[in-house]
Amino acid sequence: MHSRFFSKNPSSRTRTRTRTGLILLGALLFSGCSLSKWTVKPHQRELLADKIMQLDAEPQERAAEEHVLANREGAIGGTGTSGGGCGCN
Amino acid sequence: MQLTRSLSAIVLLGAALAGGLARPAAANTAEAAARVTMFDEPSSKNIGVRVLHPQADVSATVASAVNFAAGYSADVVTGATPATFDTVSAATKFSDTRHLVHGGFGFERSDGGISFAGAYGWESDYKSTVISGTTHHDLYEHNFTLALAYSHNFDTVCDADNTAAAGLPLDRVALANSSGCFTSTPGYVTHSLQIDTFEPSLSWTMTPRLVLQGGATIQILDGFQANPYRKVLVGSQSRTPQEHLPDFRQRYALFARLAYAFPELRASVLGMIRGYDDSWAVKAFTADVTGTKYLGQSMLISGRAHWHVQGGASFYRDAMGYQILGPAGQYWTGDRELSPMGNYLVGGRFSFFRRPQQERSSWFVEMELGGKYEFLYYLPQSPYAPNADRKFAHIIQGAFAMRF
Repeated sequence: MHSRFFSKNPSSRTRTRTRTGLILLGALLFSGCSLSKWTVKPHQRELLADKIMQLDAEPQERAAEEHVLANREGAIGGTGTSGGGCGCN
Repeated sequence: MQLTRSLSAIVLLGAALAGGLARPAAANTAEAAARVTMFDEPSSKNIGVRVLHPQADVSATVASAVNFAAGYSADVVTGATPATFDTVSAATKFSDTRHLVHGGFGFERSDGGISFAGAYGWESDYKSTVISGTTHHDLYEHNFTLALAYSHNFDTVCDADNTAAAGLPLDRVALANSSGCFTSTPGYVTHSLQIDTFEPSLSWTMTPRLVLQGGATIQILDGFQANPYRKVLVGSQSRTPQEHLPDFRQRYALFARLAYAFPELRASVLGMIRGYDDSWAVKAFTADVTGTKYLGQSMLISGRAHWHVQGGASFYRDAMGYQILGPAGQYWTGDRELSPMGNYLVGGRFSFFRRPQQERSSWFVEMELGGKYEFLYYLPQSPYAPNADRKFAHIIQGAFAMRF
């Protein structure tokens, strides 16, 4: 018996429930009011702005480190592409 | 002697992006930095390998919106080829220099930015041109940052002319030297290597003390990827054909990073974990942690630990395996980076800052002098593994930077 998640013709009740769930999820994600309780405010970013909190604070030194390890390990990646979410500007 | 091989893409991308993604801290800033790194890998059987890596970089940000970066670095390598009997019958001395120039520019807004960079590296037997672009955008009041980076390598590799051995990889001969590379000298050919690297990441400022980042790295290599100088002793008839690797490789990595602040200690911890897999069946796991602490007003110290473990490629066998069992299919390698292995790295770093007093005018904002020492210890899984005569390496770095 197929799971109803694989059904090609879900019942209208299932579709309605899915739609309602997506609307609620979207409202939660895109509501500034709900997220504002969880966001870090500009005045709370003093620590985050410090250079020792930057994931990519020293790009030249990081490039040199990668240069050493990338040629001595069989793996790549994980260096990140941007320091995260400081919002210092 | 090829110093970069197929791994140059991520390295050159990192170098090309140096400064391109650095966020401006003030309306007009500039930085000039110079570093010298020495990598010393002694051998129990010969002189080992020593790499001197000087680099100089300048970057500037104008009106908080436009930034430029440029730099030069080199690898001056002296040493001997590995003395393990699976790859060569006798270690030979070599020396070579790789040069790399890079430049880039970017535009920053309050909620994002975009940058472009290019790099060109050359040595006697390898040429590499890289173009890259990155973009990042802040979401939800700067609490999330979505970043995308892409680079493409147009690399050219010198090799011995093995046209007569087409379809007969056991008859391939290794490149003897690079004296005729990139010329019309008979006996030399060039191969192409195209590398595409894509790296998306998402950062989350979770609390006033904690930043998390997750991302992926996808890399596709298409072209000649073997070390043209490397011979591998295959079978019991003392045949030593050139290393033979597939032309196509897909590489994938998933990673997570964090930065956590300890304001009461004036310290932070940065961490990274990475899982890796590729189409040659190399699977790896890496963890890295760095703790940094302020000492007084003008000193930073940090300690670092790094651990890496990986499985071997599907066609890898150690020296004894290749001799007794022969090749595992149509490919063979003597590359330590394709063998099952691991390593530990521990080290420390210091930086001394000099900042002029606020009330006095000065021609610079900050001066930094730093040094670093790291010890890298290899964990091969077999005494017959490639480079088994090289158990460890020292990494020493000195750095000087001026910010204006």
